[in-house]
Order: sequence, then C-alpha cells, then structure tokens
Amino acid sequence: MTLYLLKRLAVLVASTAVAGVVVFAFMALLPGDPAEIALGVNATPEAVAALREQFGTDRPPVVQFLDWFGGLAQGDFGTSYVTSAPIGPQISDRLGVTAVLVLGGMAVAVAIAVPLGTFAAVHHRNPLGAAISAVSQIGIAIPAFLAGILLVFVFAVKAQALPSGGYVPIADSPGEWLRSLLLPWLSLGLVQGAVLTRYVRSAVLDVMREDYLRTARAKGRGSTGALWRHGLRNASIPVVTVLGLQLATLLIGAVVVERVFVIPGLGDLLLNGVAGRDLLLVQGVVMVLVAAVLLINFVVDVAYHLLDPRLR
Amino acid sequence: MRGRINAGLVAGGVLVGLVVLAAVVSFFWTPHDPTLVDAARKLREPGGGYLLGADKFGRDTFSQLMVGARTTLYVGIVAVGIAAVLGTPLGMAAGMTPRGWLSELIMRVNDLVFAFPALLLAVMLGAVYGAGTLTAMIAIGVATVPAFARVARAATLQVMVTDYVLAARAAGRGRAAIAVRHVLPNIGSVLIVQASVSFAIAILAEAALSFLGFGTRPPTPSWGRMLQESQELLFSTPRLALWPGLAIALAVLGFNLLGDGLRDYLDPKLRRIRAEG
Amino acid sequence: MLKVEGLTVRSGDVELVHDVSFDIAPGERVGLIGESGSGKSLTALSLMGLLPEGVTATGRAALDGPDGGGDDLVGVPESRLKRLRGRDVSMVFQEPMTALNPLMRIGAQVAEIMTLHGTPRPQARRRALDLLDRVRLPEPAQIARAYPHQLSGGQRQRVMLAIALANEPRLLICDEPTTALDVTVQKQMLELIAEVAPALLFITHDLAVVASVCERVLVMYGGRVVESGPIREVFTRPRHRYTEGLLAASKLTPRGTRLPTIKGSVPAAGRFPGGCVFRNRCPHATPTCEDVPALTGDGHAHACWHPAD
Repeated sequence: MTLYLLKRLAVLVASTAVAGVVVFAFMALLPGDPAEIALGVNATPEAVAALREQFGTDRPPVVQFLDWFGGLAQGDFGTSYVTSAPIGPQISDRLGVTAVLVLGGMAVAVAIAVPLGTFAAVHHRNPLGAAISAVSQIGIAIPAFLAGILLVFVFAVKAQALPSGGYVPIADSPGEWLRSLLLPWLSLGLVQGAVLTRYVRSAVLDVMREDYLRTARAKGRGSTGALWRHGLRNASIPVVTVLGLQLATLLIGAVVVERVFVIPGLGDLLLNGVAGRDLLLVQGVVMVLVAAVLLINFVVDVAYHLLDPRLR
Repeated sequence: MRGRINAGLVAGGVLVGLVVLAAVVSFFWTPHDPTLVDAARKLREPGGGYLLGADKFGRDTFSQLMVGARTTLYVGIVAVGIAAVLGTPLGMAAGMTPRGWLSELIMRVNDLVFAFPALLLAVMLGAVYGAGTLTAMIAIGVATVPAFARVARAATLQVMVTDYVLAARAAGRGRAAIAVRHVLPNIGSVLIVQASVSFAIAILAEAALSFLGFGTRPPTPSWGRMLQESQELLFSTPRLALWPGLAIALAVLGFNLLGDGLRDYLDPKLRRIRAEG
Repeated sequence: MLKVEGLTVRSGDVELVHDVSFDIAPGERVGLIGESGSGKSLTALSLMGLLPEGVTATGRAALDGPDGGGDDLVGVPESRLKRLRGRDVSMVFQEPMTALNPLMRIGAQVAEIMTLHGTPRPQARRRALDLLDRVRLPEPAQIARAYPHQLSGGQRQRVMLAIALANEPRLLICDEPTTALDVTVQKQMLELIAEVAPALLFITHDLAVVASVCERVLVMYGGRVVESGPIREVFTRPRHRYTEGLLAASKLTPRGTRLPTIKGSVPAAGRFPGGCVFRNRCPHATPTCEDVPALTGDGHAHACWHPAD
C-alpha cells in the first residue's frame, strides 16, 4: 500500500508538471508578445523592451516556465500584465467559494443518488423502480445551467422564496450565505444526482446477484439486512470511481453555474480574465482547475485501494 | 446475435430524427429569417405566423430553433468525428499491445488529456485565438478523445483473445491486417454506441460554451446562446428560456436513449463495456 | 427430525419440484443425487427459504426440536424463517470463491452468524477461532485476520463449513460443496463434513461422493424423487431405470462393464413428459408409463412401472 501510494504520488506530481508545461506552452508561448499588446501599436521599441524586462518575458521560455511553475508551489501566480495586480491572492479568494459550491453540489448529488439508486435496484421489477430509472434518464439530459435557469424560474420568479443570484459571504450573514447557495447547489447536484443514480442502481443490482449476499441470508439476515451489511460497501467501489469523475465534471459545471448565479468563484474569475484579455490570470486559473482534476483522480485511486483489500 | 428493437431505441431514434429533420429543412425553409432583427416584432407573443413568438430583437424563436438544430448537429458531428478519428486508432493500438510501452504511453497521455475538460480547452483556445464555432468543436472533440480511446481499448482487448484473432495471428497475419480485418469490424458496434453517447455530451458542452459566449458567435443561432440571451428576461418572458432549454434536453435525451438502445440491439454481450463520458 | 411432505416448487406456471417427501433422522446423513436440472438444489434452497425471486414453494417441511417442538420451514413468513436460518439449519454452497464477502475479514464473517443469533460479540470472536480450528484450518488466528482472496478454494470452503456449524444447527445442508475443489482437497473436505455434520442433507451429482459420505440416498429426476433407500441397496440393486442408467454410466461401475450414458439429455424445466418423467429417455418405456408411477416400497422405494430386478 505504501509503495502504491508513493508510486501514485509520483504519477500525480509528474502529470501535474506535464499539465503545467502544456498550459504554459499554450497560454504563454503561443499568443503574441504581452508587452506589445499592453503598450499598443504606437509604442517605441525601447518602451516595449523595458516592459518585456519588467514582465520577464525577455528571458528564454524554459526559464520563464520554471519561474512560473516554481512560483505556483508557493502560491505565487505572477502579476497580471493587464491590471498589475498579483494573481495568487485573487485565485485563493475565489477558490474557497468554488470549493464550497462543488462540494455542496456533490453532497446534494450523493444524498439523492444513493437512496434512489439503491431503491431502484431493490425494486427493479416494479413500476416505481422503473420510474426512477426513467426520471434519472431525463435528469441526465438537462445541463446544469439549464437546471439553474429552471430553478430560478420556480424558486425566485414564481415562489420568490430564494434570490435569483448573487453571493453573500458567510462572515456577513450565515443565513443569507446559505440562501444564496441553495439554488446553485441544487443546479449542480440534481443533474449529477441523476447521473449517479444510474450508476448506484447498476452497482447495487450487480451486488444483489453476488453469492455472498445469499451467504449472508443463509446466516439469518433478511434481504435488506444482507444488502446493508454486505452489499453497500461492495457496491461503493465502482461508485467511488464515478464519484471522482463527477467531482471533476462538477468543478467545470461550477464555472457555468457561477455565471448563471453571479457567484464570485474561480469560473467567474476565469471568464473575467478572458474578457479582459488577462492571459496570465487565465493561465493561472486553468492550471488550478487542471491540477484540481488531477488531484481528484489521485484521491479516487487511493480511496479505491483503501476500500478494496484485494488491491492492498 | 442481435437484440430486439426496444422502446428506448425507437424513442431515441424519433427524437434524434426530429433534430435532424429540423436541421435539414432549415437549409431550404424556415418560417422567417432567423437572424432578421425587427424592433416592431420585439418580444412578440406566439401566434399569427410566429409559432413560438419572437425574442427581444424581434427574431422568430421557431426559426432560430430550427437553425440552432443545425449548429448543434454540426458541432456534434465534427467534435465526435475528431474524437473517433483520433481516439479509435489510439485505443486499438493500446489494446493490441497491452503490455508494450506504446500502450503505456497512450494511456498516460490519455489520462493527461482527461484532465483538460472541453470547457477549459475551449476557454484556453478562445482566450488565445478568439472564441467561435471552430474552437468549440476542436475543444469538445479533443476532450472526447480519451473516452473513445478507452472504450476502443477495452473492446480491442476482448477481441484480441477470441479464437479467430488467435488463429489469424497463428497464421502469421500482420498487426495491421488483423486490426483492419478483425478488430475494427468487431469493435464497430461499441464505437457506434460511444459515438451516440459522446454526441449527447457534445451537445451539452456546446450549449454550455455558447451560454458562456465561447461557442457559436452571433448572429448564427445556437440553443445555448438563446438560453443566455433569455436569462435576463426570465421574470417577464420565461418562454424564451423554455424552448431552447427543451430543445437541448430532448436532443440530449434522444442521443442517450439511442446509445443505450443501440447497445442492447447491436450486441447484448457487449453491454458490460460502458460507454463513458 | 426433518420431515418433508409434498414439497412442490413453482416458478410461475412451471413446476420445478413436484411432491417431494422424505425424512432425515437425527444424526443421519442423506444424499440427494441427480443431474443438473433435476430440482435437487431448489429442494435444498426451499428448506432454507432462499429460493430465487419469483420461485415459490408449497407443501410441508418441519424440523423437530429435541424437546419435541416443531418448526415449519415452508410457507412461513421470512421474519420467522430468518431466525431459523443459520441457527437450526445451515447451508454450505457450491462455489467457495464467491460465497464470502471480499471486503470483510474471515473472523468477522464467522462471528457474524453468531452475533446475529444473540451471541455477544467478544464471545463470538473467540468462538470463531475455535471453529476455524475445528474445520482443521492451520493457524486459526492468522486465518481470522485474512481476507477471502488470501485463502485457497479449499480453505474458503472450510471457512464456509465453520460458519455453517457455528450455532450447532440441527441440520446441515451441503449443495455440491466439493465440486469446485481439486480432487485431493475434495477427499479431505468430504471426510470433514461426514465427521462434523449433525444431520446432513448432501446434494451432489457425483455418485462416488454420495457413497463415501451418506447412509441413505434420494435419487431425483425431473423434479421428483424416483428412488430412495439405503446407499448400499440402491447402488448395488437399483430398481428405477434412471438410477440404473446413472450407475451404469458412473465411475462406481468397474471399467469395461460401463454402459453408455443415458440417451438424450435432461429436458428444460417444464418440458418433461407427463406420466413417468423419465419415459422419453428410458429404454424400457411402454404405454403404461404414460401414467404416473407412485413411489412405493418400504425402506428401498422406487417410482417405476418396469423396475430392474
């Protein structure tokens, strides 16, 4: 297990580094000279050269990359060529908001999918079980931002019970904070919950056919007791993998949902960066998101190994 | 052995058929010019030749939906095409040399690409080159390559241990010949199913990108952008969000049902290899 | 001690087991033999109340207690059955590789059956070690900490036996417990079962195995008991033509005098002929066989119109 952990950690570090190279090559080397862009077409060559030196873009690309990537480890994302503001603090401010959004969405998804998927599996022969499967199929077809718009229509426009957008920091008012996040959480969680329900259902169905469930019943457990004690942990192994993929999907979904609900998270920062042609900012946010996806995959792989003694 | 035609297959086929029909007809005829801005018709209620009404620029919603279907299919076909053309040979190569360095390299690169979701790729491309239909298609296509490669690899691994491939290898047939004559035909049904599922995901991605302004540029109609334009009018004219939203959901549902139905119909044995996003 | 009367198992309209009756005395070891599809496993599962979804049993099966009180096993609610399962009747299944939960340590899986029926946990843990020792697993403490995948098939089947014996059941049912094991392991396992079983219902398709473990045998075909009696008599003087064919084709008959196998194959469930279920494969069948033959005879009984002498 320790060996596996070390190996997997090495893969994580290596793939993050390679991803860093890709992001850097794409964002920093391809587009034109940031100094020229910043100063406009009428700038003197001397002014451009001076600004280049200030930005550090006069150095060889390898040095620039190492400088940027090395800085990331200490939370230094560089200084914006456009606004001259340091990028690191902007990202760390937003990261928490997005993390809360994503984890809350995941919690909603799990809270929906585990009971519904299990129920649909146990009752796969009766109409209610089939109905859950059908509804989950429809849920999958609705993108998160559309779910957001629908929820706003129902809860903000019609019922006027919740705000249609905006974000209140928890320090200002915990109650308002919760109210401002409810609809975004639901937008992300309902759709992912529908997807997850299908996986939970098929995992539980698979487990229900296992011999060890019959053994548990032969010991004197009822079928529900056998499923609880012996089935669900076994079923959770394939579900955990999907959960990881979904967490990555949710992270990206959050970018869109932040736009729907005007929430100042990483997605909002990213899109503002693009709009303001602040390439170094975009580069930093993209890198954070990619690293987050890689980290999620790492955690999932390790969790998988912890859950299954056959892999230890 | 073929399965029977199931209800999902029929429902999926009908929904996809409707989208295709709308797209094809839109080349020859739409009730109105979908891009014609007319202040006189601003937010016109449905009726009188305007089946679903008009938006805040006076553009006919129904015509926009028809041409939007075209955009959706166009992006889907190109994106899934990119994914299939790149992903299939890579997956097959990895599946035919399961323990070789090539396989290891392909799967590692695959994992890396997997960390760049379509939306991030599109944002990166858009930030550097300016966003548009082309960058959206490329981003969605590249991001879908890993799903294709994985499914193609899993299916190839299964085919490689069948008796006919073992016989062909024993007879000294080359790898390329085996790939073309035995592997490709036998993983075809899995790939078709994956294409259908990927198409659904591509539609979702295109809609999200257009919603964010990283997809199809105005004035070309797109369902995602129609949604985005409707958002500010949600309080006064919710129908503007209803129709494109419904179109997206039904198209995605159609391709998902078609994929599931095809999986059962084409090869019930291959149900175990899940198409993935 | 176990009294089964008129046990019938149905799946929808199809009758899979028809009117099966037999007794098992305390300490008696009874074999139930037949080819796959004969209904022998369903007979066993219906005694455990573990029939698959959509399959139902009718008839009577009662387990007499030592104090004379009886417990019905068929047609009683699940809530009552589950108190008997694992406490008064236990079962060892055919496939040891998949019968244990892969995520749970062996010790916990053995202890579980005791805690379920009221034994306090620490005591169950301790007793689990004794049980592992009793089924002759070396280093019980180490085995108890292991996960199933760390054990061999034979070891896992011993664990299953330990689980089955844990609550000192009155009846042990074994469904092909050695079929999935290597031949050398098989023999040890059979000896162990014969030694530890209280009263035994042993299901197998292997005549040699029955001969080595059981005292009495029931031969099933087409969901019916076609012959029953003491092993020695049934195997040396089979009366039913099916038993005769089965023995002739088996390894128990000396090489060279072995007859070809019974012609044709076992029909699918619901496709057996009316009357004598064996008549479409029987070389001695006559129009008489279109009537159902009754199971007759004291001690050694058979259901055949044209029995062998």
